[in-house]
Formats: sequence, structure tokens, C-alpha cells
Amino acid sequence: MFQTLKIVIKTGWTNFKRNSYLSVAAISVMSLTLVLFLSLLSLQFLTSQIVLSLEKKVDISAYFKTDTTEDQIFKIRDDLKARADVVSVDYVSRDQALQDFKQRHAQDALIQDSLSQIDGNPLAASLNIKTQNSTQYASVADFLQKFKFKDRVDNISFYESKDAIEKIGGLSNSIKSWGLVATLMLGLIAVLVTFNTVRLTIYNQKQEIEIMRLVGASNWHIRGPYLAEGGFYGLFASLGAIAIFYPIVYLVSDKISGFLESINLLGYFTAGLGEVVLMTVGLGVLLGIVSSSIAIRKHLQV
Amino acid sequence: MIEFKHLKKIYEPNDIVLNDLTLEIKKGEFVSLVGLSGAGKSTLMKMLTKEENPSSGHIIVDGVDIATIKGKDIPYYRRNIGTVYQDFKLLSNKTTYENVAFAMEVSDATKEDIEKDVPQILSIVGLGDKLNNFPNQLSGGEKQRLAIARALIHRPKILLADEPTGNLDLLNSHDVVKLLLKINELGTTVVLATHDTNIVNTIGRRVVSMEKGKIIKDQLEHGRYVI
Repeated sequence: MFQTLKIVIKTGWTNFKRNSYLSVAAISVMSLTLVLFLSLLSLQFLTSQIVLSLEKKVDISAYFKTDTTEDQIFKIRDDLKARADVVSVDYVSRDQALQDFKQRHAQDALIQDSLSQIDGNPLAASLNIKTQNSTQYASVADFLQKFKFKDRVDNISFYESKDAIEKIGGLSNSIKSWGLVATLMLGLIAVLVTFNTVRLTIYNQKQEIEIMRLVGASNWHIRGPYLAEGGFYGLFASLGAIAIFYPIVYLVSDKISGFLESINLLGYFTAGLGEVVLMTVGLGVLLGIVSSSIAIRKHLQV
Repeated sequence: MIEFKHLKKIYEPNDIVLNDLTLEIKKGEFVSLVGLSGAGKSTLMKMLTKEENPSSGHIIVDGVDIATIKGKDIPYYRRNIGTVYQDFKLLSNKTTYENVAFAMEVSDATKEDIEKDVPQILSIVGLGDKLNNFPNQLSGGEKQRLAIARALIHRPKILLADEPTGNLDLLNSHDVVKLLLKINELGTTVVLATHDTNIVNTIGRRVVSMEKGKIIKDQLEHGRYVI
């Protein structure tokens, strides 16, 4: 068994070297396929980062009537924190709100003047709530409306910015699903192109396969070296793809960061270098072996 | 050893290649099948290697009706039959050594056996000094001797040679025939299909003449080329 495997791999390697012209052609096409795959991976990363940064900008606030006690607010905060969809709840007291307001409008003499005219603090205490994604805000707002202290809540900002929140939610969902559709379609095209290249390579050896059958080779003896050869195409193609892809990332990463500061494409791909290499090589080898196995099946009918 | 019983092969719609052919070949015989192109010699050979199946009739090899051999067992069956063709059918991207070694590898021979047997058989056919040459670096006669070496590596009981001298000059043709006779002397049944009068008359063994898919003459001894 081990010896057969050794022979299969050795023969596959020898064929790979001897078919150098076809090997180069197959590897080039597969490399481009894998570069495309890595680019799709980058696109997915970029869109998810954009969506994430948009979602970070969205939150909802619940404003409480001025006579609500802190205990009551804390009770609501604790109950909100217990929800699985809530990421954070920040309490802003009335004093804090006033201070923030004064600071924000420090340059505005009219507002400063008006404030000094009013006795006491007109501002309400509030809870700023963030959820895992923008679609969950509606249910949080709903929760606040049905809560036992609901008469304490003066106003929920969700209802004012509901449209904007829903638009962001819809946008992020469509980016995600269209990204997935694009990935699948381009992936399919890539597989078909690779498959056809390998098929042409094997078609050239149709006669050889016929001869192998005549000297009594079983299907596995014929198939084995071709699968190994396909694997070698994949291996070299994936290394080629990585060698092309990383310099490109290096070149465009700065430009993207200039455009969207929070996104570090190079950082993302260098942090996950091991995984990216492993995944690309694995995918390349798999693509080569599967393409070979489909391409050769036609020639193996006894 | 080999029996063809009422063998018929019809290619649709009505091209009759073999027409109720019955023939028995005994163990250790050297049989020359002669006839013009289209007589059905090659079809008969192809049926013996199960490249083609008869439309009706039976082929019995060593007591087994080969129609009963299942698809997955065909490779094992083929390993018992050596084949030599006019166009050599060598693996062009393998060296002389690898061409013969491949036939052993597919029957799961050990590395030691391959390393021992392959050079031995290649030196028997006179290619001991061309182990690393590729087929396109060999002459026609050398290619055919390589094909014979490959056919013999399994020590088959039957050797089928379909026009083995068709692409060779006179001198090389005689070398190949001498080799076939030597193989036959060592106990292998040899079936030679040819339309080379000279060769058949030199061999002088059993000669079966075919025409339009039928046997028209069967000379058991000292046969001459007659059609």
C-alpha cells in the first residue's frame, strides 16, 4: 500500500516535470483562479469592515423622565444587559448630560445664556444601548416599551432614527448576500476554467491511458499518478498565487487605509498568514485533484 | 488453451467482421493468422484482450468463458496476455526502463523484483544499453523489441502479436520473428496476425488463413501463406 502510494506520487511528479509546457499552462490558470479567490476573500473582509464601522455608528438611547430615580434606571440597565442581543448599555446621568451639553456648546453664547436663566437641570438621564447588529434595535425598543417602568421612559431615540437604522441594516444584509453570490459565481467560473485546463492536459494523453489499460493497469493505477499530478499543479499554483497576491495587498493596503482609516488589509492578511497559506494550498491541491479526477473519469471506461 | 466458438461480430447496421468463426489453439502452439486487411484478424485479437466483445459466440481461455469476466477483473485478465502491436503502443513520456517497469508496477510487483527483472528482460531483447532512452530515441526495430519485452515481463501464457513487423524493414522483421520463436520455444503460446508472406513462410508452423471473417484454410504443420 505504502509502496504503491510512493510509486503513484513519484510517477505523478515525473509526469509533472516531463509535461512542463502543459504544466506551466495549467499552473498559470490555477494561480489566477486562486488569486481571484484571495481577492474575493479581501472583498468579503472589506465589506464586513465597512458594515461593521457603519453599525458602530448606530445606537439607541432611552431618555427618562426627570423624576425617575437612579435605582429604577439601573434596574432597567441590568435587565437590558441580561439580553443576549445587547452588547453594551451606558448610563448617562442628568448631571453628566448637562456637563456634556455645556461642553458641546461652549462657544455658543446664546445657549450658555439660556442655561443660566433656567433653574435646575432640564436634561434627562439616558441609557445608550448598542446591539450586535442593527436589526436588533427594534426588539430592544419594543422591550423598553413593554417594561414595567415603561411610564418612566420619556422618549426612545430609535423611533426618530428608525428609518436610518433600518436602511443600514438592509444595506449590510444586501452587501453580505450579494458578496456571497458573487463569491460563489466567480468560484464556480474558476473551477470550470481550471477543470477545462486539466481536462485538455489529460486529453493529450488519451492514447497513453489506452495503452496503460492494454498492459493490464487497473483504473486506480492509471488514475493515481494523474491525481498526484493534479495535486502538484494545485500546490505550485497556490504558491504562485500567494506570491502574486501579497505584493498586491502590500501596494493597495495604504490606499484603502487612506480611504477608510479603520481598515488595515495588510495587517489582516499578515496576521493570518499561516491560515491563508494553508487554506490556499489546501484549496489549490483539492482543486487540482478534483479537476483531474473528473477529467480522467471519461477515459477510464474499460 | 484458446477456443473460439461460433464467433460473430457485426458492426451495425450490417458490417459482418467475423462470421461464425470456430478455432482452437493448443497450449504452446505458434499460430500465424493470415489474410488481407479486413479479414478479421485484428478483431479476433481484440476480442481475446476484451477490447471488443463478440456479437454472439464464446471465447474460452484456459477453460474460462471470458464473457463472464467482470469489468473490474479485466485488468487482471489482461496481465496474463502479452500484446504486441504494429504501432508499438509505447508510453511516449516514459523511458525504456519505465515502460517495462510500468507493466510490473500495475501488477503490484515489489521494487526489488522490478529492479531485477526489467534490466534482465531488456538485455534479452538487446536493449540493455538503452534503459534511459525515450521511445522517440529508438529505431523501429528497437521499439518493437521494447514492446515485446513489456509483453513478456508478466511471463504470460499467451502472446498476441498483431502485425508486429508491419512498420519494420526486412532485417528488423526477422529479428522480431526470431524473438517470437524463441519465446514460443520457452512455452508461451504465440498468435501472430500478419499479411507478410515472407515472414509466414520462414516460420513454417501452423497457418490459419482468413477471409471475410471466416477461416478458409487451416494448415496444422509447415504452413505456407495461402489466401
